[in-house]
Amino acid sequence: MRNFLRLIYSYNFFFLFLVFEGFSLYLIIQNNNFQRARFIEVSHKFSGSIYESMDNIKGYLALRENNRILALENAALKNKLATIRRIIREKKDTLIDTTYHQQYSYFSAKVINNTVSKQYNYITLNKGAVDGVKPDMAVITNTGIVGIVEGVSSNYSTVLPILNRNFKVSGKLKYNNFLGSVSWEGINAEECTLSDIPHHVIIHKGDTVVTTGFSMVFPEGIPIGVITDFNLKNGNFYVIKLRLTCDLRKINYVQVIDNLNKTEQSDLEKKLKHD
Amino acid sequence: MIKILTHVGNFIFLLLLQVLILNHIDFSGYINGYLYVLFILLLPFETPKWLLLVSAFLMGLSVDIFCQTLGVHAFASVTIAYIRPYLLGIIAPREGYEVGSQPNVNSFGLEWFIRYAVILVLIHHFVLFYTETFKFHQFFITFLRVILSSLFTLILIVLSQLLILKR
Repeated sequence: MRNFLRLIYSYNFFFLFLVFEGFSLYLIIQNNNFQRARFIEVSHKFSGSIYESMDNIKGYLALRENNRILALENAALKNKLATIRRIIREKKDTLIDTTYHQQYSYFSAKVINNTVSKQYNYITLNKGAVDGVKPDMAVITNTGIVGIVEGVSSNYSTVLPILNRNFKVSGKLKYNNFLGSVSWEGINAEECTLSDIPHHVIIHKGDTVVTTGFSMVFPEGIPIGVITDFNLKNGNFYVIKLRLTCDLRKINYVQVIDNLNKTEQSDLEKKLKHD
Repeated sequence: MIKILTHVGNFIFLLLLQVLILNHIDFSGYINGYLYVLFILLLPFETPKWLLLVSAFLMGLSVDIFCQTLGVHAFASVTIAYIRPYLLGIIAPREGYEVGSQPNVNSFGLEWFIRYAVILVLIHHFVLFYTETFKFHQFFITFLRVILSSLFTLILIVLSQLLILKR
């Protein structure tokens, strides 16, 4: 025993090195589990406030661009409103459906930290549990999907964006509703991959891929990307390259979407699984 | 005492520079600069070995907290902190290191410093990018990222050293 201790003492540098490397490795592996959400909650109280003050400066510089985007969106919404008003006027005599209610509620949040250069990127938003953010909410901009809320602390939340190798979402071709799954290869911040589309489907470059609404997270029909390239893998399924419609390197304000029917739907589906 | 404060100041300055500015610079997903390794490079010769590991670990962990890549930077930083004393032994000038001198351009010249920095930065980036990917598929794409990012980091390091040298 004494010899063993003497050995450790004489090689203390090496053993200390092993201890630190082991601890780092432990952290890295823990990282892949969902315990990371717990840790982020704690560390965000600290890093979040620093990022927020930095972001105040950056937000000021981007005001002009954001104003332009808001004005465009405003115009688009006004156009929609006008069409809806006309439809309502035409259908004055139809019954009002009392069971109809809002399924999705939207609220806006600001991106205060964002990475796109890593394999497992994350986004931090300035809204947290206090503002009603819960895990598994959808995050979009008016140009396309961004990601899914993962960790929530009282004032901040982290988003698992589409630019993360763990991210998966179901997508469909807009014009013929064929389903596939969208993921990111970890190479290019502008590009993701749509797979599982069978070889008999006719696809064209420039087709839009949108969300399906099956996941209970994203509403249906939110754009994901535009097809830039495709080829057959093993002769059965296409591997399709998409250019993301929303440039994640430039996002500033996002919308967080709460699916109000989610518990109802998931409870019903759970019941099915038990039977 | 003043020396210790300089290195604490170095720590804070490089950490903030890294997380607030450099982490947001990225060219086409291949080039990320990690200037914070300069802190580990510049620690004085007579730093106790355990302190070397501890300060490298703290630096790596702090960068990790901001990058949300818990453990990855800490792992790579501790690796080069471990290698550093052996490397300094290998590339020592013929007359050895003077007592009280520091491993920077002012003491041993640009050529010596570049040799020293190239080796440690390459090792750091190699470990960093491969632990981040955590698998060896896409080996060459990751390798390209290692090389390009190391070049970028080295340019930043040499520039910062030249600034100090001028003064």
